[in-house]
Amino acid sequence: MSKKHEPGMAYDMKKLNVVFAFLSVLFLAVVVWVFLDDYIRPWKFVQLEAMKIKQEKLKEKLDEVKGEVNQDKLNNLKKELAAAREIVESRRQEIAEVKKEIDKVGVKLKGETIINGQLNSKVSALAFNYGVAHSKHASNAGDLFQQLRKNKALFAESKDRMKLYQSQQKSLNKKVEALRKEEINASKKIKDMTSTMNLVQKAIDSNSVSPVFVLRNLPFIDFLDPTLNIKQVVLDNITDDRYFQHVKKVDRCMTCHTFIDQPGYEDQPNPHKTHPKLDLMVGAKSHHPMKSYGCTSCHGGEGHRVNDFNAAAHIPQNDEQKKEWEKKYHWHEPHKVAHPMFKLQNTEAGCVKCHNNVEFIPQATALNEGRKLIEQYGCYGCHKIEGWTEEKRMPGPSLHKVSSKITKEFFKNWVWDPKTFNAHANMPSFFAQDNNSKKEFMIKNIAEVNAMAEVIWEKSKPYRPLAKYQGGNKEKGKELIKSVGCMSCHGVEGYEKESELVGAYAGPYLTGTGSKVDPDWLVSWLIKPDHYQEDTIMPSFRLTNKEANDIAAYLLSLKNKKFEKLRFSSMDKNARDEILLTYFSAFDTMEVAKNRLSKMSDRERTIELGHRSIGKYGCFSCHNIDGFEGRAPIGPELTKFGSKPLTQFGFGHEHDVEHSRSGWTKAHLLNPKRWDRGADKPFKDLLRMPNFYMTEEEAEAITVALLGQVGDYVPLKGVKRLNAREKFVNDGMKVINKYNCIGCHQVDGWRGDLTKMLDEDYHSGPPWLVKQGQRVQADWFHHFLDNVYPIRPWLEVRMPSYNLTNEEKNKIVAMFQHKASQDTFENLVDVVKWNPGEREAAKKLFAEYECATCHTSGFNNDEAQAPNLYLAKRRLRPSWTHDWLKNPQSFLPYTTMPNFWEDGEAQNSEILGGDVDKQVQALVKYIYEIGSDDLPNELTRYWSKN
Amino acid sequence: MKQFVNIVADPIYSFPITCVLYYYMLKYYKFFGSKKFAWTVTLIAIPVFLIMMADPNFYLIITWPDNIPITILIVAVSFFTWYSIHKAAINDTRQEEGEVPVEATPENREKVWCWPNLVYTEMFAIIAGTVFLIVWAIVFKAPLEEPANPTWAPNPAKAPWYFLGLQEMLVYFDPWMAGVVLPGVIVVGLIAIPYIDTNPKGNGYFCFNDRKFAISSFLFGWLVLWLYLIIVGTFLRGPNWTFYGPFEYWDFHKVVAEYNVNLSEFLWIKFLGTAMPSNILVREALGIVLSLGYMFGLPPLLAKTSFFKELISKIGMIRYYITIVLFLLMFSLPIKMVLRWAFSLKYIVALPEWELNL
Repeated sequence: MSKKHEPGMAYDMKKLNVVFAFLSVLFLAVVVWVFLDDYIRPWKFVQLEAMKIKQEKLKEKLDEVKGEVNQDKLNNLKKELAAAREIVESRRQEIAEVKKEIDKVGVKLKGETIINGQLNSKVSALAFNYGVAHSKHASNAGDLFQQLRKNKALFAESKDRMKLYQSQQKSLNKKVEALRKEEINASKKIKDMTSTMNLVQKAIDSNSVSPVFVLRNLPFIDFLDPTLNIKQVVLDNITDDRYFQHVKKVDRCMTCHTFIDQPGYEDQPNPHKTHPKLDLMVGAKSHHPMKSYGCTSCHGGEGHRVNDFNAAAHIPQNDEQKKEWEKKYHWHEPHKVAHPMFKLQNTEAGCVKCHNNVEFIPQATALNEGRKLIEQYGCYGCHKIEGWTEEKRMPGPSLHKVSSKITKEFFKNWVWDPKTFNAHANMPSFFAQDNNSKKEFMIKNIAEVNAMAEVIWEKSKPYRPLAKYQGGNKEKGKELIKSVGCMSCHGVEGYEKESELVGAYAGPYLTGTGSKVDPDWLVSWLIKPDHYQEDTIMPSFRLTNKEANDIAAYLLSLKNKKFEKLRFSSMDKNARDEILLTYFSAFDTMEVAKNRLSKMSDRERTIELGHRSIGKYGCFSCHNIDGFEGRAPIGPELTKFGSKPLTQFGFGHEHDVEHSRSGWTKAHLLNPKRWDRGADKPFKDLLRMPNFYMTEEEAEAITVALLGQVGDYVPLKGVKRLNAREKFVNDGMKVINKYNCIGCHQVDGWRGDLTKMLDEDYHSGPPWLVKQGQRVQADWFHHFLDNVYPIRPWLEVRMPSYNLTNEEKNKIVAMFQHKASQDTFENLVDVVKWNPGEREAAKKLFAEYECATCHTSGFNNDEAQAPNLYLAKRRLRPSWTHDWLKNPQSFLPYTTMPNFWEDGEAQNSEILGGDVDKQVQALVKYIYEIGSDDLPNELTRYWSKN
Repeated sequence: MKQFVNIVADPIYSFPITCVLYYYMLKYYKFFGSKKFAWTVTLIAIPVFLIMMADPNFYLIITWPDNIPITILIVAVSFFTWYSIHKAAINDTRQEEGEVPVEATPENREKVWCWPNLVYTEMFAIIAGTVFLIVWAIVFKAPLEEPANPTWAPNPAKAPWYFLGLQEMLVYFDPWMAGVVLPGVIVVGLIAIPYIDTNPKGNGYFCFNDRKFAISSFLFGWLVLWLYLIIVGTFLRGPNWTFYGPFEYWDFHKVVAEYNVNLSEFLWIKFLGTAMPSNILVREALGIVLSLGYMFGLPPLLAKTSFFKELISKIGMIRYYITIVLFLLMFSLPIKMVLRWAFSLKYIVALPEWELNL
């Protein structure tokens, strides 16, 4: 406000204008910035990149196609065309004349078309007017009728003329064509040769940055018809939970994952890579096409967000990738996303959401492995997991009669630390862990273990073994263990390599058995397991007394001297009383608690503590213990574990654990006690989940299985619902998994653990069950499961006798039947009806192919190397026998049965005219004719004596 | 050092410290208003701020897009407070020396045209403001969060920054008081100021000496009770509305020992050692009497003090009562805060039966 300014002015006007100009320019710049900021999106660059990749691919293709075109031939054709053009040129005059005529006819035709059209409309109008007049008996009805008739006639005439002109035109056109014949033919040949090439060239053009492309994608006008745009699928079957309502899932991942559903881009880096399992996922012909299932339904993450890399909640699979992403995309942990993407290695968790309730999910390798481990470690004992664990057995053996099996001393040392006795033990370690190895806690734990032993022994019922151990040949026993099939369920000391190959887990790893069990108990258990425990899954191998004693001799020779020397500390009674007082004073004062304690005898106190401790540690979740039936499992339910908000996971003070569901779960499985670190907890509040000493891989696999347990609501039409057949199959699979049938038999590709130690000599192991339901007759199968007899005489391994209920047997039979899409029974004929000459042909074939050389039983006295054909009638279905004879290797690649009709051709063309089906049919009939309905005596005896 | 700052930032310490600083700011306002002081503080503050930014937790809090306006607010308010006091100090010095305030000098009383002097420059401000807002919006994207989920509320759930002072009051008062009565009184009080304040001095020029009571009570409410609480609510309240120091990691599971007791429980259980009376009015009698006494007994008593006698003589009885009621309501907040910290006092009047807690 100095005096330099004009009167009435505080500022210099010129200066103000300069400021205004500056601000205006700044404002304009900012406005441009706004539009650019809105226009420049990361995904556009990705799509441009994709265009380049596609062009490169197309150029390769173009080169390839060009290579296919024969240049010499093409040049010749071009010469031919030039020559043809010359010829046609010489006829120019003629052609011109014909074309003139065509034009004349064209004029007439056009004129007639107009007349015809007018008449047509006139007729329609008159027809309507006449109709109205007629119905109203109007006076002009007659007139109208006359007019209508007249016009109809005119119309017909016109139509006729039109047809005439059309035919004239046609013949004239043909004339021209005939005159230009050579030229037309030559260009057609060239076109045929180069059409693919031209198509590819066209595709390249449409994928290049042309002026039209630029125009369509210019800022401001790119809303009209852009080529760079957000791609999306909207799903009808699957919804996103937006809390106040479910909305259709929208996935826009393909905006950047440009070729995810197109084969041919497998070699590209992400995001342009083709989906690695196109035949199962994403592909239009797969089970889960992108249009119906989207991407995030399985992968998790925010599929509708495309602002940048982080918006979709991508999760790196490991630290290395995390660092790479941080550098490349400024990756950071997603904020407030309920379900971020699964890590790549956890992706299979996404299957569970829809494929719940099934025993086995084909192709979900990691997930199935995780579920197998959950079975192995018996997680479901303490943690309810709805859907697939309800019908599973108790993970541990019954303790009803345990006092006759092991000693109390063994029991206590075992419970204290199972791994010192058996490094492979599935029983986890509760004590001397991260959170309870303080001396004060150890003393209390020792008191608890002592008390639990007292309770178990008090409850244990007397048991008298049915046999006495008489000693045996341990070398023979060792061989038997391997040969009869024990190792399908048990790992065995002395067979370390084989045990590792098989990876059996249904039964305990047999080591140090001699330091563990009572010899008489062992023999009688081997002979008849259900004599000791009614509901055991351990089957009888129909061992003779001698065999059982031999095996027992070997097992008893396995000793754990170090463990034998352990003496478990005796109970500190003060510690016992102290723990009891904490229990008693939970709802009462200390004085009342003390009073209550003082009224109890020494023994009563121990029993009370033992009882409470069994409840505390949840022993009853895995072992049958008297008095604990029906108690609720002690662990939290895991059915919806994968949806638990991250904030509800107790990370304690463990800041180095990755802050994610998978990070917590894995860390928890590796050491469940770690969360107590840095927390000053009283004895009663210590975390109880025991330590399974899992490997990293095991923890990772279980993590996958657990992460999949989400609570997401999936609309009914989106969930996989088993059809009638699949339902039967699934029920049966539960049974064969429970009894570990798949420990020996590979069932349509599923497991078959024992065969892994055979060095691919599958012929000497338990047979694969391929289309078993089509192979055997349902009633035979049902009967066989209870009355096992040897079918394959060359096998040492034995099909054991199980203690199956009728329901279970039915489920198994139904499973195989539906798995192979078979009817329950096949129509069998009592008396085989032969066509003329067929029987002779069958006998001839039987002799020619020397069937009796291997299938000796009943034909000669040689050693049998194949099943008894006399028994086939009762066991096999004719339709299967037919298919089997035609190509046995298609069922069992390892079978020694020769294929007599290789490549579908008969070896002997004279028999039955060389017709393959007729020859096979004849043999099948023959087998059914000689077959017997009854088992021979020696086989009947085989099972009845056991 | 960081540990120390973390502890001192807790309102229990930082509130009294702020009050003391506020007192000294006004007492030595001429020193505070000097350019030397301003430069010194700025030169110290910049490196200190940079050093603090090196701390990952502090950095995270400061750069959270929600919190950036508060940083701007701190800088802006500090500057404008200093600027007004700076001007006031100059004028007061001039007046003490018998001169007129700067604004009253003849050259400054000259009149200028509204256009372009005012309107044109206002337009500049509008354009510059728009540019600033647009650039801000582009550089710091609006922090959109996940769709609202009634079963998984964000933690901490924070109000918009300008309401964080109110939210902080909720720590000490029931919603009806902190959310309804006090904000209502603030609005009514601000409206009432021109009618209460009849002091003709200070019109059209910066000053402090001429309007000591008015300025210091307004600035107390504005700086200490409003802005200070916003700053606390923004930077120092983490998950579960628990206090976190500026350098502290927001550990979701942090636990703070807090168990508060009602005044009636103090009286009956602790002091008299008898059961609580079943009549709820008797039960809360002491609190009710104290509250009523505070609101209605205190004004006549205060009217007898020499300071207020002088005030009454200037503005009259009615204006005095309106002023003093507003004044007491304003001071109820710091009083309640101090009682909470000193005695873990929950409510002075605890009538959950009527949803009327004080």
